[in-house]
Amino acid sequence: MTALLEAERVSFAYGPRAVLSEVSLVVAPGELVGVIGPNGGGKTTLVRLLSGVLAPRAGSVRLRGTALTAWRRRELARRLAVVPQDPTLEFPFTALEVVLMGRAPHLPALGFPRAHDLAMARAAMDRLDVAGLEDRPLERLSGGERQRVLLARALAQEPEVLLLDEPTTHLDLRHQAGIYDVVAELRRTRGVAVVSVLHDLNLAALYCDRLVLLAGGRVACEGRPAEVLTPAVLRAAYATEVYVGTNALTGGPIVLPRGPTTT
Amino acid sequence: MRPPHLTARRLVTTSVALVALLVATLVAASLVGPVHVSLARALATADSTDAVILFRTRLPRVLLGAVVGGSLAAAGAALQALLGNPLACPHLLGISGGAAVAGVLALVAGADTVSPVVPLAAFAGALGAIAIVALGARAGGRTTPHAVLLVGVVFNALAAAALMLVNALASYTQAQGVLFWIMGSLSTQSYGLLAAAALYGLVGLAWLGVHAQDLNLLAAGEEGAAQLGVEVERTRRAVFLASSLLVGAAVSVSGMIGFVGLIVPHLLRLLLGPDQRLLLPASFLGGAVFLVWADTLARTVLGPVELPVGVVTALTGGPFFLFLLRRHLRRGLA
Amino acid sequence: MTCRLLALLVLAGCGAAAPPPSGGVPARIVSLAPSITEVVYALGAGERLVGVCAQCDYPEAVARVPRVGGYLAPSVEVTLATRPDLVIAVPSPGNREAVRAIERAGVRVLVVHDRTLADLWASMRAVAGALGLPAAGERLVADVSASLGAVRDRVAGRPPRRVLMIVGHSPLVAVGRGTLQDELLTMAGGVNVAGDAGQVWPTLTLELVVARAPEVIVDAAMGSEEAGRQLFAGLTTVPAVRSGRVVPLASDTLFRAGPRVPEAAAALARAIHPEAFAG
Repeated sequence: MTALLEAERVSFAYGPRAVLSEVSLVVAPGELVGVIGPNGGGKTTLVRLLSGVLAPRAGSVRLRGTALTAWRRRELARRLAVVPQDPTLEFPFTALEVVLMGRAPHLPALGFPRAHDLAMARAAMDRLDVAGLEDRPLERLSGGERQRVLLARALAQEPEVLLLDEPTTHLDLRHQAGIYDVVAELRRTRGVAVVSVLHDLNLAALYCDRLVLLAGGRVACEGRPAEVLTPAVLRAAYATEVYVGTNALTGGPIVLPRGPTTT
Repeated sequence: MRPPHLTARRLVTTSVALVALLVATLVAASLVGPVHVSLARALATADSTDAVILFRTRLPRVLLGAVVGGSLAAAGAALQALLGNPLACPHLLGISGGAAVAGVLALVAGADTVSPVVPLAAFAGALGAIAIVALGARAGGRTTPHAVLLVGVVFNALAAAALMLVNALASYTQAQGVLFWIMGSLSTQSYGLLAAAALYGLVGLAWLGVHAQDLNLLAAGEEGAAQLGVEVERTRRAVFLASSLLVGAAVSVSGMIGFVGLIVPHLLRLLLGPDQRLLLPASFLGGAVFLVWADTLARTVLGPVELPVGVVTALTGGPFFLFLLRRHLRRGLA
Repeated sequence: MTCRLLALLVLAGCGAAAPPPSGGVPARIVSLAPSITEVVYALGAGERLVGVCAQCDYPEAVARVPRVGGYLAPSVEVTLATRPDLVIAVPSPGNREAVRAIERAGVRVLVVHDRTLADLWASMRAVAGALGLPAAGERLVADVSASLGAVRDRVAGRPPRRVLMIVGHSPLVAVGRGTLQDELLTMAGGVNVAGDAGQVWPTLTLELVVARAPEVIVDAAMGSEEAGRQLFAGLTTVPAVRSGRVVPLASDTLFRAGPRVPEAAAALARAIHPEAFAG
């Protein structure tokens, strides 16, 4: 299993406040690694380090063995796509224009999208069930529609590595499943490596090959979902009592919170 | 409702239409004025009053209006994208303040209003302001829009104070000249000055144009843009410098004409969409048309007396913009 | 010691609001405008001046008189400290508050106007009257009138020439109708091409200058001569430009409604009808 994207003992601090300490993570082609953990644990910061917009204070992040800092931005953007948690767009770009932005790394500086690019963008939008929203300005879409448009943009980038920061926050049940189905298809057919930050532990259990539990800026536990999602581990990380059952369909764990720890 | 995305074809057709509009405007504006001029006579006799009026007083002024209007509007479009604020105005940067102070100092020191000394001094002031604001806004190797805005505002305040000081110490007639220069005037007879301004305008526009797609991607935020392949810091610097060049050149030759850089790009964005690949050239052309008409009004509406062109841009631009904005708000599109 | 202190206090108390000494003729005068200063000296009352504005520079004797601030912004404190019996002022853009403050402090203030020739005569008479020299005032008016008449006679009979008189290059501000300068221009044998502009100090568009084709351009602006010439150099169809009749004129006497107005008129006449002065 060759790592496609690898973070090795990265640390990061905002000023004096340490956010991540010695965090390591690897993801191979076709894998889906879930990053879970309580709020403030450093999950979003990790995504930003993995995408290269932040440089670690210590340690390194490498794509195909080369440090991110050594890659040119455009080159990186052709291989690595990010779906952020909360997109803001100051200007009234339409959904299609936003998805077409995903093609930008593949086009010359002032290049206009060719038929091929348009087709890709539209296919991506179709896949994510936002095809009919082409000419609507992004700000007039619902939260869920916006999230799916951004995922379509990431798909249009044709990445090898996909980073998702809580991609299902605004999505209803149907679309939550849909997203991960799309992601699964990408992994299967194109060998895309995916790292996804998740809040929902059950979704994590259902879809992820491996989990990394971040708490207090450190890796508290990592491994297969069944190994990580245990009452003891979760109690320590979330300060919450949980009930862990077995998913009758898959044989994997089901997690239900019972209440904050009293000690 | 505009098409969902920009095609090369739409860019070309819109640009051609705007160029045609500009050419028509230039011709029409040259023929309008408080004095009636016959084009036939002007072309026939180089020594007629018609020819002198048309080619010595009107044409340079009309062309300068186009260049200045275009420069300010293009800079406005780029800055609105760079600062992520659809209501940003190019004078916010502080460059205008620097140019104004230098130009006014030259005026008060006795420079002729007709010689190129004042515009040259003003341009030097603009360059100085660019350096100061750029360095002042740079922290930890990054130049954020927030920092640029802050430093620009402070710099403008300092410039305004300096101008008031100069005004207080200058004689009464000097103060009048200073005020006039600051309010903005396109009155010129110099084709040389016009050529210089046009050169800076076109260079600035081309420099901005190269970064048009990057500016589009910046709308996704600093990180979003970086993740889409934009070298954010380099792009910001380039756009800042190009815009400053455009504004500096414009203010140096015509003083501070307000509203053009704010209204024209904002209006065109409502009509044409935010894609900078279209918005930048469209703003240049639209700004040129707007300012030429505003100046035509300024030099015609009161007969022999001239109004300051800045007054006209505000009084015409403002209400029209409000009207369009309300239409869009009612349609729920803005 | 206490006596001297007491005396000082009494003097100080009397200082700010000195009532006119019995007899009513003011002995301590402050002039807040150069034109007024010249009128006062012309009336022979120059030695009564205890304070003048900073721009007062004629006649030479005025150099010895203390300054009380500028024409645009006189200093109320310094003016009051000279303990004047009478302060004479001309309305300027900026001295209204100061003049009111002086009035409120109890000092007698005379305000005269300087916009037209009629204002000139009225102000001379008013100042003379206030100084208790009505006869001298009438004489002054008669003298200045006669001098002006002499200028008019010098160019009488000659067809008036079209004149543009400018007081600013950028903006291009011209002298309009309803000003003293316009009246002098007419007296000097000129026709003001900016007379119909509808404003007292119109800012002209350059093409107007070409259209009105003045035969003489009087440049009374503050810039250099070269600047004035350069401004009009390209307008080759303007008669004034073709014949090189762009004449700079020092602004001192032209913009002071005082006894030297005939000098300004003569200078204008010489610029407009140079042949009348050739001999």
